[in-house]
This record gives sequence, C-alpha cells and structure tokens, in this order.
Amino acid sequence: MKKILLISALLIAALVLLAPGATFYYETGGGRRCTSCHEMQEVYDQWHSSPHRGVGCEKCHGWALTLEMSFHLNNAERAWTHLRGDLPERVRFPHRYVQAIQEPCQSCHRQEFASWQAGPHSATYTRIFLDKKHNTGNMPMDDCLRCHGAFFESGIGDLVSPVSRTGPWRLVPAELANMPSMPCLTCHQMHRQGPPLRKTDVAGRVPGPSQEITRPSLAFFDRRTQQYIPLQDLPLPVMLEGTRAVKMSPDRRQALCYQCHAPVANMQVASGDDRTGLGVHEGISCLACHAQHGEQTRASCASCHPKMSNCGLDVEKMDTTFKSTDSQHNIHWVKCAGCHTKGVPKKKERIS
Amino acid sequence: MALKHVNALIVGAGAGGGVVAKELATAGLSVVLLERGNWYSAADCRKDDLRNQRTTVLGNAFGPDEDRNPRVLVDDRGEGIVWPSESGYSNNAACVGGGTFSYGAQAWRYMEKDFRMRSTYGAVAGSTLEDWPIGYSDLEPYYEKAERELGVSGDVSNNIFQARRNQGLPMPPLSPNKEYQILLPAAKRLGWHPFDLPMLRNSVPYNGRAACMRCRWCVGFACEVNARTGTHNTVIPAALATGNCEVRTGCMTREILLDDHGQASGAAYFDPHDRLQRQTADLVIVCCGAVESARLLLNTRHRLFPNGLGNRYDWVGRNLHAHTYPAAAGLFDYDTYDDIGPGASIAICDFNHGNPGLAGGGMLANEFIRLPYQFMNQVPPWVPRWGQAHKDFVRTAYKRTVTIMGPVQEMPMFDARVQVDPKVKDYWGIPVARLSGKKNPHTLEIARFTAGKAEAWLQEAGAVRTWQRIPGPSLSGGQHQAGTCRMGNDPKTSVVDQDCRLHDVDNVYVIDASVHVTNGGFNPVLTIFANAYRASHRLLEAWKGSKVRS
Amino acid sequence: MPNSRRQFLGAGLSAAVAGSAISCGASNGASPWRFFTAEEGRTVDAICDRIIPADRDPGAKEARAVNYIDLQLTRPFKRYRKAYREGIAAVDAASRKKFGGRFVELPAGQQTEVLADIEKSSAAFFELILAHTRQGFYGDPRHGGNRNRVSWKMLGVPFPPIRGLERYDQPKVG
Repeated sequence: MKKILLISALLIAALVLLAPGATFYYETGGGRRCTSCHEMQEVYDQWHSSPHRGVGCEKCHGWALTLEMSFHLNNAERAWTHLRGDLPERVRFPHRYVQAIQEPCQSCHRQEFASWQAGPHSATYTRIFLDKKHNTGNMPMDDCLRCHGAFFESGIGDLVSPVSRTGPWRLVPAELANMPSMPCLTCHQMHRQGPPLRKTDVAGRVPGPSQEITRPSLAFFDRRTQQYIPLQDLPLPVMLEGTRAVKMSPDRRQALCYQCHAPVANMQVASGDDRTGLGVHEGISCLACHAQHGEQTRASCASCHPKMSNCGLDVEKMDTTFKSTDSQHNIHWVKCAGCHTKGVPKKKERIS
Repeated sequence: MALKHVNALIVGAGAGGGVVAKELATAGLSVVLLERGNWYSAADCRKDDLRNQRTTVLGNAFGPDEDRNPRVLVDDRGEGIVWPSESGYSNNAACVGGGTFSYGAQAWRYMEKDFRMRSTYGAVAGSTLEDWPIGYSDLEPYYEKAERELGVSGDVSNNIFQARRNQGLPMPPLSPNKEYQILLPAAKRLGWHPFDLPMLRNSVPYNGRAACMRCRWCVGFACEVNARTGTHNTVIPAALATGNCEVRTGCMTREILLDDHGQASGAAYFDPHDRLQRQTADLVIVCCGAVESARLLLNTRHRLFPNGLGNRYDWVGRNLHAHTYPAAAGLFDYDTYDDIGPGASIAICDFNHGNPGLAGGGMLANEFIRLPYQFMNQVPPWVPRWGQAHKDFVRTAYKRTVTIMGPVQEMPMFDARVQVDPKVKDYWGIPVARLSGKKNPHTLEIARFTAGKAEAWLQEAGAVRTWQRIPGPSLSGGQHQAGTCRMGNDPKTSVVDQDCRLHDVDNVYVIDASVHVTNGGFNPVLTIFANAYRASHRLLEAWKGSKVRS
Repeated sequence: MPNSRRQFLGAGLSAAVAGSAISCGASNGASPWRFFTAEEGRTVDAICDRIIPADRDPGAKEARAVNYIDLQLTRPFKRYRKAYREGIAAVDAASRKKFGGRFVELPAGQQTEVLADIEKSSAAFFELILAHTRQGFYGDPRHGGNRNRVSWKMLGVPFPPIRGLERYDQPKVG
C-alpha cells in the first residue's frame, strides 16, 4: 500500500513538474533548442534579429521555476496542440498571457510604463465596457474589440452581458475587470526586426522630445488576422475637408493612431473618431502634442506658444473650451476665424 | 427526464424560423427553437477571405460542420458524396440567423407578375411553372412590416416597375460609391430606370444597432458593427426577450414525431452531446431551408405516410431551384474601386419582365466588392489562367473592373429534386439529402439575355473591354434554394396550403423558401420574411389554445 | 534531432518525458516542412514560382505559397496528400522525360513547358496546385502564404483599412 502511494506521489510530482521540467530543458539551450518545434522557428528568428535580442527568452516568458501559472499553462497547452499535430503557422499568445507579459515590460521600461498607466490608453475592461453612458447610447459590438481587447479570443457576447443598450452590464470573465484593454502588445511587437534601441539619433546625439525615435517594435496588432502589421505597412490616410486634401504630417507613427482614431468611410476630418489637425494646427503630427504612452499633451500650448504663435496673442488667455468637440475652439480644428470673428488681422512683427 | 411540453416547436433558426419564433412567442405561445448550428460572432470568422460563407476553400465559417454533413449529388459525372464546402452541395449556412447571418442583405419585394408566372407566360416546356395561390396584395402588408420591423435602407422610388407600396423604405440609402456614380448616368442614357439598392442594412442607426461602416468584407462574413440585419440580431433576441422562447443550438433534428392518428406530437433530435431527445409540442414548424426541410419531411416515416410526411403525391423535394446568376464584367481605363463597401449599390428592374420571347428575367445590380482572391478567379476568357500574363492582368484590372449581375428567375423542374439517400447517412445516422436534376434550358436563354443587357450597361458606362459569364446547366441550390414544398390549393400538385400548413397533417407547417412556387427575379429573403409574418398571422388567427382550428 | 542522450540526462526525468514526446511530434526527417520532404518542398516552390512568377512585384515563391500549401496539408487539405505526393512525382518524371533533369534543375522556360504538359496530362493535380498557389499568393496571410501581404500591396489594397464609425453622440465641427 505504502509503495503504491509512494509511486503515485512520485508520478503526480513528475506530472506537475512536467511542464516546468520541459521548460528548463529547452531554456538551457539559450532559445536555440526551442526551435526544435517547427512553429517556434519564426518567432525565434524574429527575436534573434529584434531589439530585444540581448534579452533572453526567460526574461520575458518566465523560466522553469516561475510561479506565474499562465506561463506553465501556456506551455502545456502549446505542447498539447503540437502533439495533436496541429502545427500553427506561428505561435500565438492566449489573452491571459498577453496580460501576464505586462510585468516584464514594466521591469525594464519603467518610465514608459508609468506614463502609459497614468494615461487613457491603460483603460481597463471595466472602464471601457461597463460605461453606462456609452452603453445606453451604443450597443456593445464585435468591432469594439478591434481596439479595446484586441487579444480577447472570443466575440463581444462572451465579454459583455447582456449585449444590449438596457443593461445592467457585467463582464463575463470577471478576472478582466482591472486588466488593461489596450496592453503594451497592442502597439508593440516584441519580436520585430530592428537594432537594439539606443536613445541617440544617427549623429549620436540624444534627441529632444520633438525628435523621438521611431521604435522598431511599433506595429498594430490586427485582431482580424491575429497578426502584427508593422508601422511601415500601415496606411496613412489622405484626409479630406470637403473635397480638399488636408495637409498631413509625414510622421509615420501616426499610422498607428489612425487605426483606432479613424474617420468614417468618406475620410472627412473630425468624422468618426478622427482628430486630424485642421485650421491653425493643420499638418502637425498627433505626436507633436500627445506624448506616446501617456497621451498627455505635454505642456502642449506652452511648448510652442506664444513663441510660434502667428498673431502674437497670449493663447493661454483665449477661449479655453478647446477640449470640447462642440467648441469652435476645439484644439484639433481651431481656425483663426474661430477667435477673430470680425476678420483675421494681419500678421504682426514679433518682438522678442 | 422528459422535456417540458411546448405549444410550438420550430426547427431551424434562419430567416423563416426566426420570424415565426418572434411572432408566436410575442402572442404568448411557448416556443422552442431548434438550431443545428451555433450562435456565432464576428470572432468566429474574422474577415477570413479563404474561410467564410462565400469563399469556402478552407471551409465554411458558419456551418454546417464539414465532417458531419455529407450529401449525395447526382450529376453528369455520376453520383458521389459532396461536403459542405464543395460546389454542388447547395449549402446555406447552419447557424442562428441561418443565411441572414452572413448574406449580402438585398431586400427585394417580388413583383406582381412573379406570383402569376403561369398566367403571364403560359406553360414553359419541361417546367412545372405555376402561379402562387396567393398574390402580391396578400403579402404587401407583411413586406411593409418586414421592412419596418427589421429595417431596410435604400431608395426605390425611381423603380417604376415595382408593385404598389404603401410606404417608402424606413432608412435612406447609403451614400453612393464610385461604381454607382459611373453606372447611374449610363443607365439613364440607355433609357433605363436605375435606383438605390434596397438592403437589410442600417444606413443610419436603427433599432439600437449602428450604421454600416462601409467595410470591404460583407457578403459571406459576419458584420462586426451589427449594421447588417439578420434574424440573429432582431427577431430572435426579441423572441427571447418575451420569456416565452428558448433557443437550443447544436441540436440536429432527426424526425417529426407522429401519433397513431398521424398528428404531429413533436420531434426527435440529437442534442449537442449526441443524446437523442424528444420534444413534444402542439405544433411543429419546419424552417430548415429548401433542402433540409424536404429532407426532414422525407425522413419522417409513418404507417400513414410511408413515403415521408406530406409526400402522399410525391411532391416533397420536387422543384428545387434557386437563381441563375449571369454576369458581365467591364474593364475601365481608370480606377473604379474606392474600397467603400458593401459595393453593391445600384440596380435596375427594366428586364424582370416583358422581355420578348422570354418567360421572365431578373434584376441587375453591380456586384459586392471582390476581394483579391475572388477577383483573380474571374479573369476574362482571353487571359491565361497562370503565368506572367495572368498576374499582369490581375494587377492592372483589380481596381478597374466593374461587374454587373443579377438573379434570373428560374423555370422550376419536377426532376430537380431532393430525396433521401438510401445508403449514405450523416454523423448522427440520419439519411442524407440526395440532390439531382438540372436547370431548364429556357432559364439559360433568359440568362444569356440579361447578361447581354449587363454588358451593354458597362459598354455605355465607358468600359474599354467587356466579357460575360453564363452559368452552366447544373442544378441550382445554394443560399437562394427554394421550391421543394410548393404552396398550392390542390393537394395533388402541392405540399402545403396557402397558410403554409401541410395538406396531410393539421399541425405541421413549413415556413421558409421551400414553399415558394417560383422564386422571383430577386434575392428571396424579404419574401421569406414577409411570408413568415403572414403565415404566423394566419396561424395565430386559427390558434385555439392547444391546437389550430382545422 | 537536437536532443541527444546526454542532454536528456542533464535535464532530469520530467524533461526527458516531455522533451522526447515534443520533438517526436515535429519529426519529418531533415525537412523544414510539415508534410513535404525537403525535395518535394523545393519542387512545389518552383511550380508556384512558374504559376505566379516574380517581376517588379514578388511572386508566389516570395509570398511563400509553398508554406501555405504545406500548412494546409496538415489541416483541411489532408485529403489531398496523396494527390500531392503523386503529382510532384509526376512533374519530376515529366521533366526527366522531356529535358532529362529534375524539375527544379530546369531553366524557367523549360519548367513552363513541363507545366503546360502537366496541365493536360495530370489535369487533376494541376488544378489543385493552381488553385492552392493562387490561394497562397492572393489569400489571407494568416494561413501561411501571402507573406508580408505582398499581393495586397501589389494590388494597392490598404491593410488594415482605416475605417471608423460615427460612434459617439458628441457633435463635430461642420
């Protein structure tokens, strides 16, 4: 009897240790051994030529002795699909793992993480999907998940219940309540090809805030194909004001913004969720004012005005309803005529 | 444990079944709605251009399950098993919403003559062409109800050929896309009467659902913004909201249960765990689509109905037809593609009737957006199928090609039919549908005529080269499948009466396109909806608490 | 196979069990493919290249149509495995007979001639690989082909499209 118990205990222990044990085995190869599974080759290759090439697999994905259960479950699940003969084109993260990987991001990129956390893009599932005011006017739908919850595996009905405008609503997977609906991986592809990031430009200078580096990881996670579209392949729209093509900043990073802050099909400025600059701010990149990660507008007025003001007026004493989309003075679309209702005065010589 | 008895058991949660469930549940009847497929979301397809309900090279997105649902097809090459994603299967989706979950959503009323084809054109050689026992005026109030309750956008006021209507459409049309702007003046120059396509699609927010976002993936895909209207996002949720209706998905119905007197007492079905269940009910309403409705009746055997329920005179499964789709494409010397979906936007009804020497015709409209894989299959006959020349053509023509097509009203054929196969069974051991027969040659004659009109339209619009696509003579089925349980007054030449009730049995109804005598020169869904509202209304008038007045 | 006996022992019991099981699942000789042998993979790659050749835009080879076909042969195309094995052999046999060499060894012009013959002599296989090559070039990249969306870029189809919705109640500027 004792013997049976002992053997059973050993077997159970072996089973429990199976996944971490295998992980340990594969990790000792410095990542190379992982690629003995066909589907790992591509991600390995990508990592090997990515900015994170100096960061070992285990640094982000955990290692054998980690207590992060999603890590082991993920590995076990992956081994199981592999053994079933289902060899995917490339491995994908389950949603719970995307959430778990926020932590390793934070451990290195502390400042970026903190500013993201303080900004609107860290909005939780609760904030996005249980907003009474929003849901009363707009029925939750699958398209919401394109930006909010891009990694959520299933349809809207499996996230929010009921799918109606009457509510009361609840999150079906309650554990998502405080999870971010737009985690780091929404806009960053970890295994993206590119050199390790050095905070200098080509001339070796440390760039100022207006010369930020385009990170090679910038890519949009397209929920439909469940693939990343790298920044250089994302379309930058031709925005229109009536029939006039609006002057656009050549800053490619905006292509990422436009995926979600998108105009409707007629491409008119300010339609849908579009906030393309018009009027006095036409041609300025989104990122000229909005810091990436935090989206706070720096001290945006002060950083350009009044030094670069066209009329020499103290802009901070003007109508400050610029945050309201109703306002003539909305910061995205304000025109000279918005303030100078009796005609725009001629440019003054600036005295400084 | 026995399942709780209900008033009405509806088999099939598609266009017909969804409407009936809502009407009956709203009137207070207890309803169970059985659906063999699942309740899908956009996450189940994700705009996959190789695996959706239109392009099925990697399978169907919305059912039926590929490995469990074979059929037998008999054609010129002999008889063989076909699977749902293969051509010849005549598939319609198997899911909550049925075809309406992933269709293009054109919302047509049939014309007055479409209900009186035999009286209008006389006999057509080889065809069982017949009048409907009801006319347009019987359906008109229900067309209107469908348009308002479900929501139709468009502007048909310029369609001088349409039958009288009491009200316009409840939503304006979508703003015109580029093809519309090219084709509108050309049609007018030809003296035709172009107008904005009516669609079961929100052009503005309607009934709590958003407006169409004009994406390029429409027909064949799930709508991510719920702007496209199907029974899954309208009447079925409304039925559930009454508290009187229960939807059971993943349930495959084997047969209708009959008592000693030949009255229906419910149905036997396999639940999602493959357990055989028996649901008793006062009424059984069959809404499985033309192929599967016929199959269910034929698989229901009884001492009194040895050849299948409703099949005393061998009419169940007969007259399977749908639409023949001729097309013409035109290559322009400038970009005609603007990436503004759904694409189909402008139509004419100038050639539905009154074509010299022809028994009918069909509507013509521009085609939905062709995704790259769809487009490259449609190259003109003079372009090689592979190599540099094919690639060159696709690259040049992708954004410069306009296609016009339309559903030609088919001449029903007695030998185009659904039977149950004596040998082949599906996953659950139920005999499968066996399809055989062909199109009437006159149908193809009409198709050649309308393809010529489509080509003339493109030439007038300035296409530098044009070409036609005429379908072959093989059996029509697919999403527009109809005709297998013909509605009629004479039990010897039809399956159901005017109220869609079987001639043979008091408490079994068939309410889907199976009952269509002819199928119009239009997409049939609005007529299925209207007839389902009408049949429900008639049923409720006859309802006496536990049975219908006979 | 990467896991030798020595590495086995170093990793302990549980790893040994899991390790051997996992690498067995992936084994296909020395082939980089899931279904094809390395030789077959090269032949299919060359056929794809003839069906949709590269010019100023990438062709089916660059789009990795062969990867699409190989992947799908582990999935819905399982039923075509035999057809591929035999069809590829038929292509090589035809090349040897006509030009005295394996298909991959022939110059492009001769490959095209061989394929034109195959289109008639092994019509069923040709139709199959023609359809699959087109899918692997023009179809969705999620299935293993159309690498980096090369065909969509060639056709000028932006992806993902920028498309929003009037979602909010707040009024906008006119």
